[in-house]
Amino acid sequence: MKIARRPFLALGALAALGLVGVPAFADQATDKMQTEKAAQAVDTAKFKKDGPYKIGVSAGYLSNSWVVFALQHVRWEASKHPEITDVIVTDAAFNPAKQVADIEDLLRQNISLLIYWPVDDNAIADVLKRAVAAGIPTVQAGGGFTDNEGTVSNAYISQWQLGEKVARQLMADLGGKGKIVAMLPIAGTTAAVDQLDALQTVLKEFPDVELVSTEYGDWNRAKAKQITENLLQRFPKIDGVFSPAGQMSIGVAEAFDEAGRLTEVIMSPGDEYNGWLKWVAQHKQGGAVTFPTRAGQEAVKIGVDILKGNGVTRGTAVPSIYIAPADIGKYVDEKAPDDWWASELPADFLPKQ
Amino acid sequence: MTALSAYRTDATLHLAARYAIFVVLILVYGLAILVSEAFLQPSYLFNVLRQVAPIGIAAIGVTFVMIVGGVDLSVGAVISLTSVLCAVQMNGDAGNLPLAVIVACAAGILIGTLNGLACALTRVSPFILTLGAGIAVLGLTQIYSGGTARGIVSPGFREFFNYRIFATVPVLALAFLGLAALGLIVQKTTLFGRRLYLIGSNRSAARLAGLPVARTIVLAYALSGFFGALAGIALLARSGVSNTLSGQGLEFQVLAAIVLGGTTFEGGRGGIAGTVAGVLVLVIAFNLVNISGLPYHMQLVVMGVIIILASAVHGGLNARTG
Repeated sequence: MKIARRPFLALGALAALGLVGVPAFADQATDKMQTEKAAQAVDTAKFKKDGPYKIGVSAGYLSNSWVVFALQHVRWEASKHPEITDVIVTDAAFNPAKQVADIEDLLRQNISLLIYWPVDDNAIADVLKRAVAAGIPTVQAGGGFTDNEGTVSNAYISQWQLGEKVARQLMADLGGKGKIVAMLPIAGTTAAVDQLDALQTVLKEFPDVELVSTEYGDWNRAKAKQITENLLQRFPKIDGVFSPAGQMSIGVAEAFDEAGRLTEVIMSPGDEYNGWLKWVAQHKQGGAVTFPTRAGQEAVKIGVDILKGNGVTRGTAVPSIYIAPADIGKYVDEKAPDDWWASELPADFLPKQ
Repeated sequence: MTALSAYRTDATLHLAARYAIFVVLILVYGLAILVSEAFLQPSYLFNVLRQVAPIGIAAIGVTFVMIVGGVDLSVGAVISLTSVLCAVQMNGDAGNLPLAVIVACAAGILIGTLNGLACALTRVSPFILTLGAGIAVLGLTQIYSGGTARGIVSPGFREFFNYRIFATVPVLALAFLGLAALGLIVQKTTLFGRRLYLIGSNRSAARLAGLPVARTIVLAYALSGFFGALAGIALLARSGVSNTLSGQGLEFQVLAAIVLGGTTFEGGRGGIAGTVAGVLVLVIAFNLVNISGLPYHMQLVVMGVIIILASAVHGGLNARTG
């Protein structure tokens, strides 16, 4: 019994170390297909209604700064429309069953429009279909393109296209040759799978660049730093790092710096995470390819268009843009925390500091 | 076999059982050296100590709780909360550092004390109680932070803890070792330490013997909260302010290290030294598969096998001596 218990607990520890990953596949062809589907027109006639409008936001989670900023963009855009009288927000705190209940609650409150980001697409598919059947349009905000019956439209961000932009900029900064490592988010997530595929697709055009290791830092700065410290032991020289997530990029760069090897490496652009922007401003390399929190704002715009019977498509891509190190000064806020996102939010709508 | 040789064999087995986790640690370390020479470099080894400092420091406190027969699943949430709290109080000003540390520690002690009072005075299972406490603390962290890890660390704070003495020994690694030594002293030389074992072995007998059972339990949980807060500060030093969930999931790594190190859920046995060894076994297993260059998913398989084998060897050594 004593011996059996320890392995079980050990397995529990392994689970906590992030073993569980659901395979997901995306590649250039899939991204192209999604882009084509996103361009399809939506029949908005059945959703057209007169104001005032009440917006329901079903947040799968509100425990990271990106979604907090996305929500503030929702509120900001809503404030610009006098016909929107209320924005009701629910937080499922990563609980798929709770998100189902949250959406049902919102529907009972006679919302005009549902904006959401899911914990689990499958878990809420049915309740979204019911919302649509009841004449309530649904708009997915900030994730990848969702092609479900219950999702009328998307304000989506393509992880593949983001990864491609980051990879191409890294190749340009490297001069097309060298050994690189990749630091990706949680293994098996759409972000990790799509970003890696984009990198590998770009690498086909650069035969003199070798991807020597692919690592998964789980969007965790400390873990990314620990893994990089091991990479520095394995490889006497690393010329470049592919790391689209700024939060992990800081950990990676710190490891190089503490090992006295920062001058040997070129960091890829990260995202517009403020802590990363501060690093870019200080070290004048890396730059950013944005993962725009204004996806929340775009979702409201799409939703209002639907409610007014205007033409919309199945998806509106919120494009990622490249910010060169020389231009980072316009985006970084040295007085703001690291866990902050560059945006155009006015002061009244910024999260409290 | 003569009586003398049987005695010697028996004594050797008892010694091996008593220090089983250290035998396992040596075996895992030996395997690591075969994989990479990095494990022979003092600077790398001390860096490994720095990497594992937050988990190790938290594990010291939870060890006290488990010796007395309890468990603390709220420690991951405490780490998240105190890390954010400390950074917010610092507000980018070195002058705020002492207050920030005091506030973070006070928060940890308060949460631990509340856990202890509930465990000592009610019949609620510590597992359920501290699991619920962890969820509540997570909620409080989100309410306090609004979802963003507000706060800017004081200048010099991270630089101090990441400074390497003689270009080799990070201050954070020394802090971890120092706190482990302190925990060991408390465990081995104080009345509180002895009471932990007595109460953990047989709570009813301890009560009948007149020991202050409730007070000891409360103090154990308060210490767990305190060390959890120190772990949050260590995490802040190690990686700065990253997000509001920086401690999420760490409670399972802490528990795994403690149980691997010989402290059991039944209470009454184990200790800080074994916990530190357990922490090191886990981090060396992670680092050796990571350095080995295996594909990611194969790393997970191999790391799992190492941990299971380590646990089996430890259990086997203990079982041979009953």
